[in-house]
Amino acid sequence: MTDTTKQANSGGPVLRVSGLDVDIKLPHSVVHAVQGVSLEVSRGETVGVVGESGCGKSTLGLALAGLLPPEAVARGSIQVGDRELVGLRERQLRAIRGTEVGIVFQDPMTSLNPTKRIGAQVGEALRLQRGVGKAAALEAAADMLDRVGLPRPREQLSRFPHELSGGMRQRVVIAAALICEPVVLVADEPTTALDVTTQAQILELFDRLSDELGMATLLVTHDMGVVAGHADRVFVMYAGREAESGETRAIFDEPRHRYTGALLGSVLRMETPRRSRLGTIPGRPPDLTAPAAGCPFAPRCEAAADDCGTALPEASADGGHRWSCLHPIDSEQPKLVAEAQDEFR
Amino acid sequence: MSLENVTTLGAAEAGLPADIQQPPGRLWLSAFARNRLAVIGLVVIVALLLFSFVGPLFYHTDQIHTRLAMETLSPGKGRPLGTDDVGYDELGRLMVGGQTTLEVAFGAAVVAVVLGVLWGAVAGYVGGIVDGFMMRIVDALLAIPALLLLLFLATVFRPSVPMLIIVVGVTAWLVPARLIRAEALSLRSREYVLAAKTMGVRGPTIIFRHIITNSIGTILVNATFQIADAILVVAALSFLGLGIAPPATNWGAMLSDGLNYTYSGFWWLTYPPGVAIVLTVLAFNVVGDGLRDAFGLDSRHG
Amino acid sequence: MTRFLLRRCAQAIVVLILVSVIVFCLLHMLPGGPARAILGVHATPTNVAAFNKANGLDGSLPAQYWHWLTGVLSGNLGFSYVQNESVSALLGQRLPKTAFLAGISVVLAVLIAVPIGFFQAVRRQRVGDYVLTTITLVLYSTPAFWVAIILIDVLAVRLHVVPAEAPQGSFSALLSDPQALVLPVLTITLVTVAAFSRYIRSSVLDELAQDYVRMARSKGAGSRVILFGHVLRNSAGPVVTLLGLSLPFIVSGTLITEYVFNYPGVGLLAFNAATSQDYPVMLGVVIVVAAATVIGSLLADVTHAVLDPRVRSAAGIR
Repeated sequence: MTDTTKQANSGGPVLRVSGLDVDIKLPHSVVHAVQGVSLEVSRGETVGVVGESGCGKSTLGLALAGLLPPEAVARGSIQVGDRELVGLRERQLRAIRGTEVGIVFQDPMTSLNPTKRIGAQVGEALRLQRGVGKAAALEAAADMLDRVGLPRPREQLSRFPHELSGGMRQRVVIAAALICEPVVLVADEPTTALDVTTQAQILELFDRLSDELGMATLLVTHDMGVVAGHADRVFVMYAGREAESGETRAIFDEPRHRYTGALLGSVLRMETPRRSRLGTIPGRPPDLTAPAAGCPFAPRCEAAADDCGTALPEASADGGHRWSCLHPIDSEQPKLVAEAQDEFR
Repeated sequence: MSLENVTTLGAAEAGLPADIQQPPGRLWLSAFARNRLAVIGLVVIVALLLFSFVGPLFYHTDQIHTRLAMETLSPGKGRPLGTDDVGYDELGRLMVGGQTTLEVAFGAAVVAVVLGVLWGAVAGYVGGIVDGFMMRIVDALLAIPALLLLLFLATVFRPSVPMLIIVVGVTAWLVPARLIRAEALSLRSREYVLAAKTMGVRGPTIIFRHIITNSIGTILVNATFQIADAILVVAALSFLGLGIAPPATNWGAMLSDGLNYTYSGFWWLTYPPGVAIVLTVLAFNVVGDGLRDAFGLDSRHG
Repeated sequence: MTRFLLRRCAQAIVVLILVSVIVFCLLHMLPGGPARAILGVHATPTNVAAFNKANGLDGSLPAQYWHWLTGVLSGNLGFSYVQNESVSALLGQRLPKTAFLAGISVVLAVLIAVPIGFFQAVRRQRVGDYVLTTITLVLYSTPAFWVAIILIDVLAVRLHVVPAEAPQGSFSALLSDPQALVLPVLTITLVTVAAFSRYIRSSVLDELAQDYVRMARSKGAGSRVILFGHVLRNSAGPVVTLLGLSLPFIVSGTLITEYVFNYPGVGLLAFNAATSQDYPVMLGVVIVVAAATVIGSLLADVTHAVLDPRVRSAAGIR
């Protein structure tokens, strides 16, 4: 497949999510995994979606890739290019998978079929979606493997997954996801299963591919470090909702939502003084089957006031920076990191 | 044929704690309790146990002396299930037969599981040549057809309840041995085992305290299936004529005796013991499946 | 791959040796010693001594073992005084018939169980799955001999569709009367299908829950592609291993079936030998069947390794 035309960062957002709700029906309850999420990503842009386990970020990723299980009900809108994904039937969703939206999962070892050769798995999407023949698909696969930085791509075509290292496997998975050149790529914890050095390499690969292919990339992760170095914008999720979103610099330097502040306070940074205690967030994430009234973070928030438990905060905005907190971190005390450290000294 | 009903979200997204392999503590109990079929199976088992062991206290029949004048009477007043070919009351016989069947099955399962777990745990934990040799012995015994071995042993030793328990158990311990050995192999490189070793904890303690306790799920599941299998094996042995001598009996013997009268229409001689067997084996299998699901084990375990 | 092959073959040889040792021990477990057990209660000490001499049973135990083993390997499996024929001759007549019966039944069982298992897994917890699961579960919990007799009752006696007894005589006589083979084959097949489909269902369910299935879906694969292009080939290996592991089960089922239908195979031979205390025949059957099982397992494992590259590199885990 030759390069398609790319419009770097122009032409408006290529992924538009507005008011997305995803409910998952369990045998005896309903989990409100995603509640009222809206976000936009443009070509060539990388958005980091961060939050704890269970905050709904993976569900969001699956929804974008059209991979929600049948127990899930989605309401609202997900627009990729000019296609609306919410409400599509399975057959229609199948058409966009891999072609409009690609997804990379956490564990490269289990994402690849151990009994199939690399070449076949990388080219699979081409054969399924574009009806490309076997030989042509293998050609394209070799090209893609080269693009993702796999050494000696042609040799790898006939190998099996277990013959490659973790980092190489993840590159293969990325190649397989991108072979039809989707406009949106969802990367769900793409580096969690890798060692630190490989992590850095894969993240750089994402940066490069995002530029080259002009994709809109969503990096779904719980690791603030990943986001800090490789995301243009950040979308912080808590209990299925958006807590805060904005440009990475703004989020890290001037977090507004208390949860974001607490998250940042729990991360080791170069400026963290030695012999200080690492901040933690007390309590556990809320039960998504029974969302309480008011702000979901209130029970664990140190600055929670009475009105936090009753009213759901509306979003406040300041340019591209948006947050849903009734008592946000004051802009006069921008470095919550230092605060958190003082407390524990 | 669509597959969407099979892919599932990560446990975390469903509001459940992620990353649970074998649920610790009581989690498996509640998971089991939610499985209606498994609970029904458990109820059936308890009911049959009560029937066999407590029943005779309420329903008195003579199960020692034959009364040939009363042979093969169809169900009627005072004899809910009729009489068998030597005059025993069939319902009472069913209870007595149940006692023997369940005793032998439980006994054999205990023998099989105890032998198998010890063997497998030691083999898996020690590893190396010892493991290889121990498992080759298991392979060799597995290759010898159990029924043939049982035939052979039954002709050499006179069948009695303890004998049956030992003989059936001795042919059945091989599967749990394999399973526990696999568990031991995977567990022995876990950090807490390595930690225990470095602290100087001795082998046997590690095996019991760590390896076996953490394989409890697999052990329980397999034990349940062992009981089910034992019932069928004893039934087959009785059918081939190698069961226990009368007046003792078991459901398998009752069934095979009754089958001699299939064409005489004496249905009460075959269906009660037959249904009892099927029901019991079914119940244990269902409970075993339920346990397996509750512990989150896959089909390769037990 | 070759390393794997060599290792498995070496293991199989060790197992065969162990089998021979076990059988040898069984031989000497016989009441009164092998000679007396074989010759019967009326044997005089002279008879016993002569017998021992003739059969190499008069040396030290290791020497006896060696003598016996070399005899077995050269085809001498002993002599049946009950039937007045050599054990190997008897086995030679019966083995093909049993292999034929078991062979057809197992092939049929696989052909039926695989689609059923797949269907159950795909339709998990829907009506189709529940119905099939119930049927197979009940079948699995029913003693094989009862299944056989019900089949006889329904198909042979009431409906007169097929004869109740298996054909006797030589192998060619067997083949010329296919109708009489229906019930024995059906019995073994049904019992085996019940066991297999449960396993296959679980195995397919396990595969479907794997991440690579999710990955394939994310590339636009539909159900058919996933089932036939991914899951089928990944399930083939476990099915083959299942076959290897089920050999003892199949042997037991065949033995009971031969007894019920009076099928002139190895199982019936063993049973008659047991009741007439014809130990040489029993032990001969045990050795041959055990050896066949070991070799069968080996073949199954090797085939699995050919089908599934994972197995080849997972060193030492067996």
